[in-house]
Formats: sequence, structure tokens, C-alpha cells
Amino acid sequence: MVVSEPAEHELSVSEPAENELSVSARYLSLPKMSKIENKRRENHMLYELYDFKKDLNNRGVFFCFSGPVSQDLLVEIGTILRKKMEFEETHNAIVLRVFSMVVEMAQNIIHYSAERCPREGYKDELSVGIIAVGYDNGHYFVLCGNRVFNNNVENIRNKLIHLQKMDKEQLKKHYKEQRKKGPSKGSMGAGLGFIDMAKKAAKPIEFDFKPVDEKFSFFSTKIVI
Amino acid sequence: MENMFIKQTKYTPLILFDADNHTLEIRGESYPEDTSIFYTPVFRWLETYLAEFSGKQTITLNMEMIYYNSNSSRSLMNILDMLQDASMDGKKIVINWYYHKDNEMALENGEEFREDLESLTFNLVRTGG
Repeated sequence: MVVSEPAEHELSVSEPAENELSVSARYLSLPKMSKIENKRRENHMLYELYDFKKDLNNRGVFFCFSGPVSQDLLVEIGTILRKKMEFEETHNAIVLRVFSMVVEMAQNIIHYSAERCPREGYKDELSVGIIAVGYDNGHYFVLCGNRVFNNNVENIRNKLIHLQKMDKEQLKKHYKEQRKKGPSKGSMGAGLGFIDMAKKAAKPIEFDFKPVDEKFSFFSTKIVI
Repeated sequence: MENMFIKQTKYTPLILFDADNHTLEIRGESYPEDTSIFYTPVFRWLETYLAEFSGKQTITLNMEMIYYNSNSSRSLMNILDMLQDASMDGKKIVINWYYHKDNEMALENGEEFREDLESLTFNLVRTGG
């Protein structure tokens, strides 16, 4: 069997775009066809990206961001979402309500995520989380997720269960009461931001805690507008 | 006393406090990452201004807030509380809360503040024709 090495131009045409490091490594090691084939199979995400996006779309998600979240990023996300909703001729009241949920959720990640990058305590660290915005069955929804420390789970859970039980009037009253107080010392979230979101939402906040390990859980929330 | 002027940004409001004409303006949006960094100097100016004010003129605060986050809501409440205290102290204070006819949220926000500040003259002013 004759195995011929692909000429340089053939390589660049047949290979998917990869980072400089892997391309130069390939040239240096003069790969045979089989090695290139293996590399192709190893890049699963590339071949699954379409299905991943399709899955998001099937769930109504039209925007999804996973990674380090910053104030600047939030501003740009907010701008783009507002533009998109305006293009869809969404009622201004809804646009602002969705935007307000995204701001509160993103800033919750920024302030409270237990996952930091590059690592906790590093100067100029970034907070890591995931935000998704979608439209389903006549309503916009916002999803948000980030790691939290296990010893905060009970506190957050209790506060959210408390909010889930309130009607609009009670939430409004609760919001005004909490607004007059300063932020609670060492506040671990589920504070004014959540009350504000609950107050603006079409139905009670949904949330979930998934244990990750002995230190962390993953905290997810969903708000429907 | 020197006027206070802070230019509006994407996520912090315009602050224009005119100590000579006794008009205070807060306009725009407010959702900075850290509200205390932005609002502490604003509170300080207001404290000094109100403490030094001894005239009979009316102090007018014009607010037009398109959107603000929950932490900013606290800061704005703080400003309004300071003015309410001044009003109970005998100073003449008027708050004009401007909202665009298409901005339901701004109207609700204004109403919420007004309900909490019963001893202040708090006008809801509709704009946009």
C-alpha cells in the first residue's frame, strides 16, 4: 500500500482551520494520512457544533454565553439583545424587562460565582458562568448558571423558596423593605436582585442546585418574562 | 459650592447638580458593577449642599431614568431619602420624575418611589407626546 503525504496546498484545503500550533506541529512531524484522519475524529466538538446549536435553537435559545463574564461583556450583550428584540418588534416594556433580568443575572455571576478565572484571589480575576436567553411559547426566558460554595446552598435555597411563595404585591412590598436596608454584610446573593427579578417575572423563579463535589454545587436559575 | 457634573456613560447616568440655580439632574441608565464607587461622591456632594443650603428657594430634582439595576435602586432611594429629610427639615423640595410614554417600567419605578416618599412633592411627568 502506498501512503502518500499530501502536498502542502492539499493539506490546507482538506484540513479544517486549526490553530497555528497544531498546523506547524503537523508540518514538523510530516504526518501520514492516518494521523490526519485521527486528528479529524478527535475534534468532536467541531462535528457536533451544528447539533449543539440546533439543540439550543430547539429549546428556543437564541443567545448563549458560557465563560468569564465581565461588566464590559454585559454591556455589549445587553446592547445586542435589545437590538435584536427591537428588530423583532418586541414591545418596549418586554425588551426592558428581559434586559433587566440579563443585567441582574450577569451581575450575580460577576459578584457571586464561586468559579473564578484564572483562579480565586488573583488580581483582575473574572467570574465564570453561563447565560442563555430564549423565546418559547409566547414568553422570553433567561437562564443563568454558576458554581457556588456548598455551604451557601441552604441560605440561597431558603431565600428563593421564600420568594417563590410570594405574589406580586408581596414581592413589591418585600422589595421596598429590602431596598431601605443596606446590602446584608457578606451577602451571598439571593438579595435585592432576585426580589427585583421575581417581581418582574411572569411566574415564580425556578432554580436548581446540582452537587459538583465536596466544595461546590452548580446553581441554575430560570426566569420567564 | 462647586457644581457637580458627571458625564453620562452606557451604564452610569448624567449627574448635573447646579448649586447656584438649585436644580439637580439625574438622567440616563444606571447599572455599574459597583454602585458605591459611582454614587459615594454623589451622596457626599448632596450632603454638603443640603447642609449648607439656607435659602428659601425651591430645590428641584429632575430625574429621567430609562433603566437601573437593583443596586442602583438602593442608591437612588438613598438620594431621595436625603431630600425627604431635607424637606422635613423645612426646605422646599420638588422631585420631577420623567418617564417616556413607551417606558412602562420607568413609570412603575416612579410610582414605587413616590409611594415610599409620602412627604415629598413627587411629580410623575410623561414625555413623548
